[in-house]
Amino acid sequence: MRTIKKTKPFIGIGIVLIVWVFVTKFEIFNSYVLPTPTKVLESFFKMLESGELFEDIFISLMRVLKGFSIAFILAFVMGTFRTLVPSSVAYYEHILEFLRNVPPLSMIPLLILWCGIGETTKTVIIVLASFFPMYLSIVKGFTSCDGRLLEVGNVFGYTDFQKFTRIILPSAMTDIIVGMRIGMGYSWRAIIGAEMVAASTGLGHQILFSQQMSRTDKVIVGILVIGIVGILTDRVFVFVLKKLWKGSEEHGWN
Amino acid sequence: MGGIELRNVQKSYEVDGTLLPVLRGINLHLKENTITVVLGRSGCGKTTLLRLVGGLEKLDEGEIQFYTEHKTAFVFQESRLMPWLNVWDNVKFGLNNKADNTVFIQNSINTVGLKGFEKAYPHQLSGGMQQRVAIARALAYEPSFIMMDEPFAALDYFTRSQMQRELKHLQQKRGTSILFVTHSIDEALLLGDKIVMIEDGEIKSELTIEAGSKERNLLEPEFIERKKQIQNDLGE
Ligand SMILES: Nc1ncnc2c1ncn2[C@@H]1O[C@H](COP(=O)(O)OP(=O)(O)O)[C@@H](O)[C@H]1O
Ligand SMILES: [Mg+2]
Repeated sequence: MRTIKKTKPFIGIGIVLIVWVFVTKFEIFNSYVLPTPTKVLESFFKMLESGELFEDIFISLMRVLKGFSIAFILAFVMGTFRTLVPSSVAYYEHILEFLRNVPPLSMIPLLILWCGIGETTKTVIIVLASFFPMYLSIVKGFTSCDGRLLEVGNVFGYTDFQKFTRIILPSAMTDIIVGMRIGMGYSWRAIIGAEMVAASTGLGHQILFSQQMSRTDKVIVGILVIGIVGILTDRVFVFVLKKLWKGSEEHGWN
Repeated sequence: MGGIELRNVQKSYEVDGTLLPVLRGINLHLKENTITVVLGRSGCGKTTLLRLVGGLEKLDEGEIQFYTEHKTAFVFQESRLMPWLNVWDNVKFGLNNKADNTVFIQNSINTVGLKGFEKAYPHQLSGGMQQRVAIARALAYEPSFIMMDEPFAALDYFTRSQMQRELKHLQQKRGTSILFVTHSIDEALLLGDKIVMIEDGEIKSELTIEAGSKERNLLEPEFIERKKQIQNDLGE
């Protein structure tokens, strides 16, 4: 059973590869439109060797982590504030609702004007993209706390703040972690968009630049790397969180 | 005069636009250092009464006066444990301070017979065990007044008897005041120094049992007599 479970993903990947080889072998698509897997692999190793790939990964990763961290702190602080002062919601809910519906990439022209094409613009875009999923998840986690558990806090004389840290926060942990993972995914998507418009480094820029050079193989390398790095960051992320909140999954933070 | 005095306590709930009276004027004195048992069939308003005394619900009418300062604990009808905390930490949950309470927590866990389960999480315990953790949580708090809402209802016969004895023993040792809700006549007779029968949101009758330190035997004629009396009062 175990081995079957482990091989299943590889079977899926294998089928995609076989189709890819097949399609290029019989030249169903022009090699400019879809280069062969070997060509892509070659370019991949060349880019590894020259070090440009690592540099781009590193730069993009740093940007993602920076924007994500800022967005998480903002989302957490605002979610906490909203929970501790529920009467404040009416003042800002419509503004937030509005901002949530504006695609961050549509802000690029304005952001370039206001913040230039430097790091600030990219950071702001990531923050805009990843803030809302995290904020909504965190608020959902906080507000869905079981009122009967809160009463336990009441009968033992807990203050509002103690109820927050000892009951609301731990019971919201699952939602917070889900929000963080989704936020991380959104950060990656946003950074690539931002780097395509306003950057001379990073994975997004690398893809756009390769396109202009008509190097479809390098474009595909870029896409594959983004996807893989995205998965890896999610895995590392889950691993770290599990270490931090040992056993949370089994014992139901929810 | 010590204790807690309830005067003309009234409470209604609004259900679907209509006012549903639950308690229609309860007058009751809860004496210090005794177990007052509130007895009645389910839906008669026992939980509501307890929640009012515990300050979890607002009165419509009347007043509840505490003549004595109390450190109060509440055992809910459901265990209400924190699912993310193990037994030890759940028992510790009520102790809202940094002092070293290790001995205390262990004693409470032992009292409810859960020694060895300190590291277990609520979902790994049976319903009755969860309820006992909730009782331990209340005991570790060292209250001078405990409100208990059918705390032993989820327990099997043997564990229940044992817990009833433990509670009685502990109450006599610590001099705790207890307001105990149950729907079991036997349990009321075993534990109560005073038994208050509620029907239709009113006190139907009261019964006082003289405190004796020896364990009560419900098969003795005087208790059989009282049981008949209660059954009669509650219209069975
Ligand atoms: N929050 C509430 N809203 C509306 N009705 C309630 C509420 N709580 C209790 N009731 C009603 O009040 C009555 C008494 O309930 P309760 O005090 O829980 O009874 P008991 O504990 O004796 O079984 C029941 O008819 C119940 O439906
Ligand atoms: Mg009840």
